[in-house]
Amino acid sequence: MKLSCLQENLSRGLGIVGRAAAIRSTLPITQNILLAAEESRLKLVATNLEMAATCWVGAKIEEDGAVTIPARLLIDFVNSLPNELIDITLPSNSHAVEIKSGRFQAHINGIDAQDFPPVPSVSDGVITNVTSKALSDGITQVAFATATEESRPVLTGINAEFEGERLKLVAADGFRLAVHEMALNSAVGEKAMVIIPARTLSELNRLLGDQEEPVEITINQQKSQALFRLKNAELVSQLIQGSFPDYSQVIPQSYTTRAVVDVNEFLRITKMSSIFARDASGIVRLLITPGSELTPGKVTVSAQAEEIGGNVSEMDALVDGEEAKIAFNARYLSDVLSILHQPQVAIEVTTPSSPGVIHPVGVDNYIHVIMPMFVQW
Amino acid sequence: MTRCIFHIDLDAFFVSVERTLNPNLMKKPVIVGGDPSRHGVVASASYEARPFGIHAGMPLSKAHHLCPQAIFIQADFSHYRESSQRFMEILADFSPHIEPLSIDEAYLDVSGYEEPFGSSQKLALVVKKRIYEELKLTASIGIATCKVIAKIASDLCKPNGLLEVAPGEEHLFLNPLPLAKLPGVGKKTEQVLQEMGIATIGQLATLPLDTMKKRFGKFGTVIHSYANGIDDREVEAPGGTKSISKQTTFAKDNSDRHYLEASLHYLCDHVSTELRYLDQHAKCVVLKLRYTDFKTITRQVTLKEATDVSHVIFDTALQLLRKTLTQKEKAIRLIGIKLSSLSGKEKQLYMFDTRIEKWRHLDKAIAQIRRKYGASSLRKGKDIFI
Repeated sequence: MKLSCLQENLSRGLGIVGRAAAIRSTLPITQNILLAAEESRLKLVATNLEMAATCWVGAKIEEDGAVTIPARLLIDFVNSLPNELIDITLPSNSHAVEIKSGRFQAHINGIDAQDFPPVPSVSDGVITNVTSKALSDGITQVAFATATEESRPVLTGINAEFEGERLKLVAADGFRLAVHEMALNSAVGEKAMVIIPARTLSELNRLLGDQEEPVEITINQQKSQALFRLKNAELVSQLIQGSFPDYSQVIPQSYTTRAVVDVNEFLRITKMSSIFARDASGIVRLLITPGSELTPGKVTVSAQAEEIGGNVSEMDALVDGEEAKIAFNARYLSDVLSILHQPQVAIEVTTPSSPGVIHPVGVDNYIHVIMPMFVQW
Repeated sequence: MTRCIFHIDLDAFFVSVERTLNPNLMKKPVIVGGDPSRHGVVASASYEARPFGIHAGMPLSKAHHLCPQAIFIQADFSHYRESSQRFMEILADFSPHIEPLSIDEAYLDVSGYEEPFGSSQKLALVVKKRIYEELKLTASIGIATCKVIAKIASDLCKPNGLLEVAPGEEHLFLNPLPLAKLPGVGKKTEQVLQEMGIATIGQLATLPLDTMKKRFGKFGTVIHSYANGIDDREVEAPGGTKSISKQTTFAKDNSDRHYLEASLHYLCDHVSTELRYLDQHAKCVVLKLRYTDFKTITRQVTLKEATDVSHVIFDTALQLLRKTLTQKEKAIRLIGIKLSSLSGKEKQLYMFDTRIEKWRHLDKAIAQIRRKYGASSLRKGKDIFI
């Protein structure tokens, strides 16, 4: 293998695939990146067996070939080089790659490319495409609500429901639920529901930042793998098997009290109370008070830590319905408030032990439900 | 205002209680613990037994070897608890600022309360007298301006002693004492300090604070101030329970998984019952294992949400145990479980998991049956191995 490419391009390519490489693994080769010189391009592949990222870098190929080298080492070295031409050479019958740029040179011991796990090819099944921005927004608004513990694997993923020209992303960790709906650019033939690992979608979201073009999504027939095709990269992911809980029954169909407040104000006073809530199981209490003819309605947010103290903040609100009390984990509130673009949000509640709903005002494609905390009032 | 703090410690508490029940035990070496043919440890040894080298925490088999003529008594905690409660009640008559440290010792802040008695020493004598008259137990009392010195003083004047370290004389008192007398300094710390050429509390006190901080972290600054006679801790009633724990030493060292898991289940059942009784939820589950060679380890998990459900607590502890036990395992001597990071009634409600509520109902039903028919009336299948 013999090729040359620009440091800038190689560095960008490594940045795209790098995070898909395994960090610790019982299969050491998954900590490597595959470099394959083919058809006048350099292909880079990394996989942790859950997802695989591939990207292509423009290069001048003098001799085809392939090898794998430790991801961390390669990335750190390439990133430390100046933006000039890099020559990469793999002498035949050797796994030691020579990397040379001007007066800098290194050799890195690799592992045979034959041993690198093949990236599954995903075709047939459900094929569609979606605007990058829409997909990115959707991921941002749901991914944080996935479970991080492995006790219920389906909750560590994001449920993706493809139907007609709509894609619904749903995430839940047992305490909160986020549902985001977006338009697809092309309708899917059949309805499909799959659970995509949150890690994959977060990684995809990172790559979407640089892209204007739509993303092509393919789910295979067995619904075991998904492929996301971007402009210069591909991400293939295993899908989580199992059935996502029936979340529709958790979303309240009505409310007895609804308060519309300023998102930033709400976020600010929630964070303020969370300072005290740290020592009180994270509990913040919301008191929603309707206004009268002369006074506006208000929402009071407070936290009380037995041995430390407490705080109370209030903000104006447009309140519809009767006075209401509800307590939440401060983090669940601030998590959702921090990802909203809209200036105003509605909070809808019924009883102190029924789920509360967070609804950005002016859009109907996003809903967030938080289970309250049971407290003594 | 200069504080006046008592540390009151009952002498050879368990043995002394046994003697009030059976006067024939007077003036003889008596050891309270479990059954010496099994794996118990010494809980308390009479002063007659101590010259043989016997001390609390020693395996009973060893105690038996050192002093075969001793009278071994199996501990009966119901008696001790009753005496302990009466002991604390007596102390509470002298000052409302009482802090029980364990079953047989307490701090008492008597600042201002000693005046009617003439002096703090006179007050201490009255306390001792009442304890003796009402409980037939002797106590040793250390008097000082702070907790740590009061505790050291009571330790030095045992048994049946009284020692006051007058205000301003803290350094004179502490300086010549060996390191081991300083509460908090265990064998390991002592060893490290000795390697640094430190043998007495006085020498420790003169070390630069920075050295201690670097070597021992936060703990270093604490013992450094203790060594200098500085201890601002208030005497205060425990503000709610901080943790709930239970442990058991096996009759025979054991490495059988089923047996270990069953024991763990039993302990979890016990601590979670107590947790619910106290109306608390726990966020942290700690597993403790002591191997046959006395090596002791603890492993802990912090739950995402605090819980009071037996099933969740056991499940968490079980994962910890399975993760900790590797293939070739040394036999286990002791297993224990601790619940900490306790919070009150507040709990996070669940969205889908109806199992949690079901388990909660199950716990409630079990508690009702046990209340009516006794604790042993209902056992879970897992306990069958023990």
